[in-house]
Amino acid sequence: MVSVLTATRRVFNPLRRNHNEASASASNAVADTADSDDTALVADLIDALGADRVRADSAARYLASHDASIYREGNAGPICFPESTEHVVACVEAAVRHGRAISPRGAGTGLAGGAAPLGRPVVVSTTRMNKLLSVDVENGIAWVQPGIVNLDLSRALAPHGVHFAPDPSSQSVCTIGGNVANNSGGPHCLAYGVTSAHVLAIEAVLSDASVVTLGDLTAEPAGYDLRGAFVGSEGMCGVATAVAVRLTPNPPAVRTMMLAFQDVSHAASTVSAIIAAGIVPAAIEMMDQRCVAAVEDFAQAGYPKDAAAVLLVEVDGPAGGVAIAGEKIAEIAEANQAATVRTAADEDERARLWKGRKSAFGAVANVMPDYYLHDTVVPRTKLVEVLERIYEIVDRHDLIVLNVFHAGDGNLHPLLAYDSRVPGVRERVHAAGREIIELSLDMGGALTGEHGIGVEKRDYMNRMFSAVDLQQQGLLRSSFDPYCRMNPGKVLPSSHSCSDISALRASDAAGVWG
Amino acid sequence: MHLGLDTDELNSCVACGLCLPHCPTFVITGSDTESPRGRIALMRAVQDDDAPITDELVRSIETCVQCRGCETACPSAVPFGRLMEGTRAALADSGRITPRWQRWALSMLRRRRLVLAGSTLLALAIRLRLVPTRRLGLPARMPLRRPALRTSGSDVWLFTGCVMDAWQRDVHLAVQRVLEAAGVGVEPTGATAPCCGALHIHAGLEADTKDLARQVMAGLSSDDRPILVDAAGCGAMLKDYGHLLDSDEARAFSARVFDVHEWLAGHLDDLQARQEVVPLPLTVAVQDPCHLRHVQRAHQAVTEVLRPFVAEVVNLDDDGLCCGAGGAYSMMEPKLARAIRERKTASVARSGASVVASANPGCSLHLAAVGLDVLHPLELVDQALSSVGTQANPNTVGVSAGGLGAAEAGT
Repeated sequence: MVSVLTATRRVFNPLRRNHNEASASASNAVADTADSDDTALVADLIDALGADRVRADSAARYLASHDASIYREGNAGPICFPESTEHVVACVEAAVRHGRAISPRGAGTGLAGGAAPLGRPVVVSTTRMNKLLSVDVENGIAWVQPGIVNLDLSRALAPHGVHFAPDPSSQSVCTIGGNVANNSGGPHCLAYGVTSAHVLAIEAVLSDASVVTLGDLTAEPAGYDLRGAFVGSEGMCGVATAVAVRLTPNPPAVRTMMLAFQDVSHAASTVSAIIAAGIVPAAIEMMDQRCVAAVEDFAQAGYPKDAAAVLLVEVDGPAGGVAIAGEKIAEIAEANQAATVRTAADEDERARLWKGRKSAFGAVANVMPDYYLHDTVVPRTKLVEVLERIYEIVDRHDLIVLNVFHAGDGNLHPLLAYDSRVPGVRERVHAAGREIIELSLDMGGALTGEHGIGVEKRDYMNRMFSAVDLQQQGLLRSSFDPYCRMNPGKVLPSSHSCSDISALRASDAAGVWG
Repeated sequence: MHLGLDTDELNSCVACGLCLPHCPTFVITGSDTESPRGRIALMRAVQDDDAPITDELVRSIETCVQCRGCETACPSAVPFGRLMEGTRAALADSGRITPRWQRWALSMLRRRRLVLAGSTLLALAIRLRLVPTRRLGLPARMPLRRPALRTSGSDVWLFTGCVMDAWQRDVHLAVQRVLEAAGVGVEPTGATAPCCGALHIHAGLEADTKDLARQVMAGLSSDDRPILVDAAGCGAMLKDYGHLLDSDEARAFSARVFDVHEWLAGHLDDLQARQEVVPLPLTVAVQDPCHLRHVQRAHQAVTEVLRPFVAEVVNLDDDGLCCGAGGAYSMMEPKLARAIRERKTASVARSGASVVASANPGCSLHLAAVGLDVLHPLELVDQALSSVGTQANPNTVGVSAGGLGAAEAGT
């Protein structure tokens, strides 16, 4: 097993987008050889799943090699579209027989290369496992397949007056399986908690093709919390095939407010003052001027384009409390020199306010064609200082930054916008990104809030964790997947994980920036 | 291979994926190869990195319905339609898509008499059960005779087009009656402007499309009357002549083009002032044709125009997802088109409506083929107007308790 993986060369796909490497003809020659290597594996997969559930052509592999991040070195083997747990078991069995790794993939909206397959694994796409299996409203539990889209789930639950609380910006696209893999957050996780607080049990296929159920539906499960270990494991412990999610009652009343400021520091001090006043809003989001300018034309949210910072604050709960909290927030904002304090008058206006916030990443191309996104967390009290230093770092590297973030819990999303066609820009982006991470960690923060480590942030793990920490994390992973077959090469730096991963990495070029 | 695509437009996609749930083919196959961002990534690979044009890559391009639902979902305003049209033009030029028989068939559309005569023959063949209508996605019944087009004034043009005029002239006549009820004199374009070219540009036949555009413009440029269009696909095409031909003349022409609902929404008072209206006792679901909602972005006018004339208008809950008709798509990609349609029919069923209003002939044929009662929105308005008039119009359809018989609408 290990030797085969070790022998797997990083193959140049004929369709692989690469700016500075081998000629097209040379890459074709390599790919053709590799295609013939896949023949038996593909035949096995087709036998098990049927021809319309397997893709092995260069176009499909090229697209399955990438997620929404800038990481371009992924290299997918055959892609499977299972529809049941049995199908997933069959995928893993075939991969094992042929000495291949397995990489799960949801909607491919990840921002850290977590779904970018390394070493030509069998890609298990969950997009067709998108059923809502059962709903138990009384106990507040629903079983879903991993490929169900986050927003589709909440829409399907709407008639029952409940929803799935984590709401990443990509919620109209991203899957519950991906949310579990990344322990995803979202604006409303400030009050409701991230995915791990909303997953009760997981059925998963492990690397030996066995099917296990982690966690159970009782309030106090016995034994170690293996479900908790699986959530956030970025596909390295197994492939989730069913997830029991907790249902959150829809709040009886919601108030969404848009606060605009002429100074970023006033916005940041408003955030701290709101929390200090004992109010726990459902969400507090901040966007800086450049971000507002990028999204406003699309979303028509009514954000003032001249404001230095815009805050979106949402409070929910019983109507009386919401009204009081809303008034209090308006007072605090005015005391902190807010230029605009607006409360959404109806559901339509509320939807537009959120649409602007949630389309921020996708709107970057209005500014520049590429972006590199970080996801660090800093103590809320240090927000102003960190933001000022981020602007300073970015100016020094002659780059553009858009800041859009979960202000309530200090989860920053500095988004470095650039044009990869400009010579030398990648190096500057890389350098600025590293400085931003160093800065966040120096401030007592964390490497990632919700997007995961994937491959992009993998090599920063040494900066955050000690060698002992990382070794223990590697051991935990090995206890689920002793063969390192599941999504190898992610999260853990090579020296702290299985040997085949180190081999995988050795065959990679120079990390993210190739 | 250089596809001739604008580099900046091609690079304006950051692959965020927000388009995925709005792509009718992605929601069926779940594969990035059938998604907007995937198709763009493949275009880039071909144009920038000289990736080979494999059969699977061609399939990825061919399976796109060109509904452009991804455009309204895109925060970065990627002009996907233009990229797809450009890619298809390059693939058609190199003989990879749109085989000779298709080009021949499309070239016939500008020959109006041939289209009319051929349609009559087809209608006859259908009556004689010589044509497997269900398999080919054709209507179960088509008109053998068509009432003549007539001119009632010179306030506006009514664009009648090619296949629609042959297959659904009753719609044009109903639209004309509604416009006349608002006090507007109508001149149908008929042979003056035989075909807009929408099907041609979808097939990658850019030169043919430009020829047709010039022909249409030559026919309608003797004055500056508004050009009203009751087929969303044709309207979108006519509005795009400015970009297609890139001339001031073409841009001026496109500025005169309105979807008929868009135009009527501004003249609703005229319509209601002249006649007392008793709404039809129907719950009507509005199906937004993609080229009205995502391309012309004028779909809300349909609801606005329809609302006073029926008991209840309901909007579907599928975020304007395509129905799978896509001009000739339902015939070229029947399997995908049917799978896409199932989602639409499920949404219609959830709406509880007995009648579907569709402002595009392709969509209405595609949906009627599975037994839905589909009418043009202005056919419903026409009925509401004529039901309180002095005498029932023999060309309108009777309202029955169970809705309206779409299959009978054409006779």
